[in-house]
Amino acid sequence: MRRIVRAVGGWFDSRLKVRESVMPMLEHPIPAGAAGPKGWWYVFGSASITLLLVQIATGIGLALVYVPSTDQAYASLEYLNYRQPLGWFLRSVHYWSGSGMVVMVAVHMTQVFLHGAYKYPRELTWLFGVFLLLLTLGMAFTGQVLRWDADAYWGVGVGAAMAGRVPVIGPAIVELLIGGQTIGAATLSRFFALHVFVLPGLLLALVGGHLWLVLSKGISEPPEPGQPVDPKTYDAKYHELLKTGKPFLGDAMSKDALFSSLVVIAVVVIAALAGPKGPHGLPDPVLTGANPRPDWPFLWLFGLLSLCPPGLETFVMLVFPGLLVVGLLLVPFISNHGERAPSRRPVAVMAVTVAATTLAVLSYAGATAPWSPVMEAWSKDPVPVEMVRRSGPLELQGAAVFQNKDCRNCHALDGVGGRRGPDLTDVGTRLTHNQLIDQVSNGTPGGGNMPAYGKKVNPAEMEALAAFLGSLRPPGQPPARVAAP
Amino acid sequence: MTRRPSLPTLALLLLAGGCTPPGKPTPAGPSRPDEVTDFRTLYATNCAGCHGADGNLGPGPPPNDGLFLRIVADAELLKVITDGRPGTPMPAFDHGKGGPLTTRQVKIIAEGLKPTWGKPDPSGDPPGYALAPGGDAGRGMAVFARACAGCHGDRGQGGGSVDGRPVGAVNGPAFLALSSDQVLRRYIITGRPDLGMPDYAGTAGRPADFEPLDARDVADLTALLASWRTAPAGK
Ligand code: HEC
Ligand code: HEC
Ligand code: HEC
Repeated sequence: MRRIVRAVGGWFDSRLKVRESVMPMLEHPIPAGAAGPKGWWYVFGSASITLLLVQIATGIGLALVYVPSTDQAYASLEYLNYRQPLGWFLRSVHYWSGSGMVVMVAVHMTQVFLHGAYKYPRELTWLFGVFLLLLTLGMAFTGQVLRWDADAYWGVGVGAAMAGRVPVIGPAIVELLIGGQTIGAATLSRFFALHVFVLPGLLLALVGGHLWLVLSKGISEPPEPGQPVDPKTYDAKYHELLKTGKPFLGDAMSKDALFSSLVVIAVVVIAALAGPKGPHGLPDPVLTGANPRPDWPFLWLFGLLSLCPPGLETFVMLVFPGLLVVGLLLVPFISNHGERAPSRRPVAVMAVTVAATTLAVLSYAGATAPWSPVMEAWSKDPVPVEMVRRSGPLELQGAAVFQNKDCRNCHALDGVGGRRGPDLTDVGTRLTHNQLIDQVSNGTPGGGNMPAYGKKVNPAEMEALAAFLGSLRPPGQPPARVAAP
Repeated sequence: MTRRPSLPTLALLLLAGGCTPPGKPTPAGPSRPDEVTDFRTLYATNCAGCHGADGNLGPGPPPNDGLFLRIVADAELLKVITDGRPGTPMPAFDHGKGGPLTTRQVKIIAEGLKPTWGKPDPSGDPPGYALAPGGDAGRGMAVFARACAGCHGDRGQGGGSVDGRPVGAVNGPAFLALSSDQVLRRYIITGRPDLGMPDYAGTAGRPADFEPLDARDVADLTALLASWRTAPAGK
């Protein structure tokens, strides 16, 4: 039996030359330091690739059932969730492994950054890495859209709004991205093509390039304080180092394999425990009472958006992410020589700490931000009984108008209702009659957070609204007065 | 070589076999809003905002009012929920009119009001619900002085009090512009028991010899309030 296998193997190998070309790659020497205990720092890149393979395998499985059409996408996911045996598990693994991939890529980049491994001669490897990060995020974003639920619909909406702010060519990009003026059938087809053909193709090509660079430039040695990189002498030094190097196929390879297995097991366990994500609610504006949120890799961006004042939105939506990417791309050019050890690079350590904290805080803000209006509050949340009791006929009409015009969807009364705008329980103590009318007519100046109701509210409705809002004061508290000049 | 099933194989076998891990979703999850057919749920999600959690003490006219449910026709309930009352804050609810509910759901709500809040109390002889043409605003003024002025002031400008709280004006053009004649007539007949306004026969805030309002009184009062919509009293 063994002999036959060998013979067949040999027949193929004498033609494919796998052993001749691949074995040397596997056996190429790596610095001895990277094969010791410090080698555990080097496992995150291969774990990312392992998860990518999981994504490809589960992704193919999903593509067999998923229907990329607006009227069937949602139903096909429900079919996977409830009817297809283990269909839910396939979806779950794909989601969690994708999340894991984002994590691994980020951790890998952080490690490379902290260890200064991007310095001479590995600048290009870093650049490939930055694009791999972007592509991974691109996969996460397009994948979330394929769920075609309320989250997806809304994610595309914000994405399009972002792209639309690009000067001059903005509208053209939007049209290209969503396939027309509005989010619809063409949008889903485009994102499907992106997620299944375009981005994975690019991703695999770049992974190939990235690996090629890793092989040809060699794995960086673990950083030692006091051994700065000097582009003039580095190559010779590294060559010298490899003389005592260890083959990759051995200790390093086993570490990679072990860690990758652990990561896959973790993904499988989480997938079984936590289950697939969504789909949450149909993407029909009339039907959703949902509170859409983007998937976690983008929460920070939405946290940022929800915190920023309207005037800064263009900057935050467009310029800021752009600057981040440019910053990452510039890293190896700003410092491609000098110390590599983190203990000698306080600025680098600070940068990582600050970035990680900022991302965590913004993600938290994004997860908790009362970002979107509560769609049903207008008809569902009763006007607090106390307010009704102390109202006269005009105020009662104002309260009904308040509900009727969807104000409640953004504004809570007594803590109940939407939280997009401030709770108006005591607004009568803050704003005078004229200020109230001004706020309702003009909304937030410059558009944005609160729509202008000037044209949607007739004079009688406005008078009733202002009377109702003006009466919203704790008992005995006088109405607001115009502040003395 | 001994062959043992690997960990992943084992896990997959467990998943495929009867055991249900916590992550497995159940179809009970999100149900489509247009499949809800329970009166209470439909009322709570669509009407409670304006008509109160239990059908009263909301800014809109209370459906939880035995007298109202006694005099109003089933067809009128169905119509007002389907079409809303244009010009007032009462919106149309039927899909066909741009509302959020299916025709079936509208019917369930309309037909659920009387069984839920109606009272089997046929005492008294209340005036009918339907608007009657030909009310006389001039005569209405005299009825108003007798039946309403004690709380709402001689010209409807407000001023009286109930339980120590001031009673508001009913002559304001904005208030009246947003109220249909139909709802004004209804308030004259049913009052607002939840807020302390008496019905057509109630005596609170009225002279001792007060006689229940009859159909003609109600029509004339409705005409009077309607006339204030364009020509505010006392100007
Ligand atoms: C016992 C005092 C009292 C009497 C008598 C009275 N009302 Fe009222 N009315 C109230 C109170 C209390 C309210 C609730 C609003 C408020 O507190 O101002 C009210 C509210 C109303 C409303 C508005 C209802 C709403 O929810 O928008 C109308 C219209 C009205 N009254 C008309 C009349 C008319 C017409 C009469 C005479 C037939 C009358 N009222 C007699 C006390 C009274
Ligand atoms: C889409 C959400 C949204 C809707 C709908 C909305 N608002 Fe607002 N509103 C806001 C936000 C956000 C603010 C905070 C101030 C700002 O950004 O201008 C605000 C501010 C206000 C304020 C000032 C509060 C203060 O304390 O200064 C008032 C009053 C107000 N809204 C009334 C209304 C009324 C009345 C309606 C309905 C006709 C309404 N809003 C509908 C979002 C909304
Ligand atoms: C946005 C506020 C609002 C909501 C939500 C609302 N209503 Fe109304 N409704 C009103 C107002 C205001 C009126 C009085 C209209 C008028 O002037 O005739 C009214 C009138 C009515 C009437 C007629 C009462 C009468 O005395 O003639 C009925 C019945 C009614 N609503 C039922 C409902 C039902 C059932 C729902 C839920 C499906 C609902 N409403 C939701 C505000 C609302």
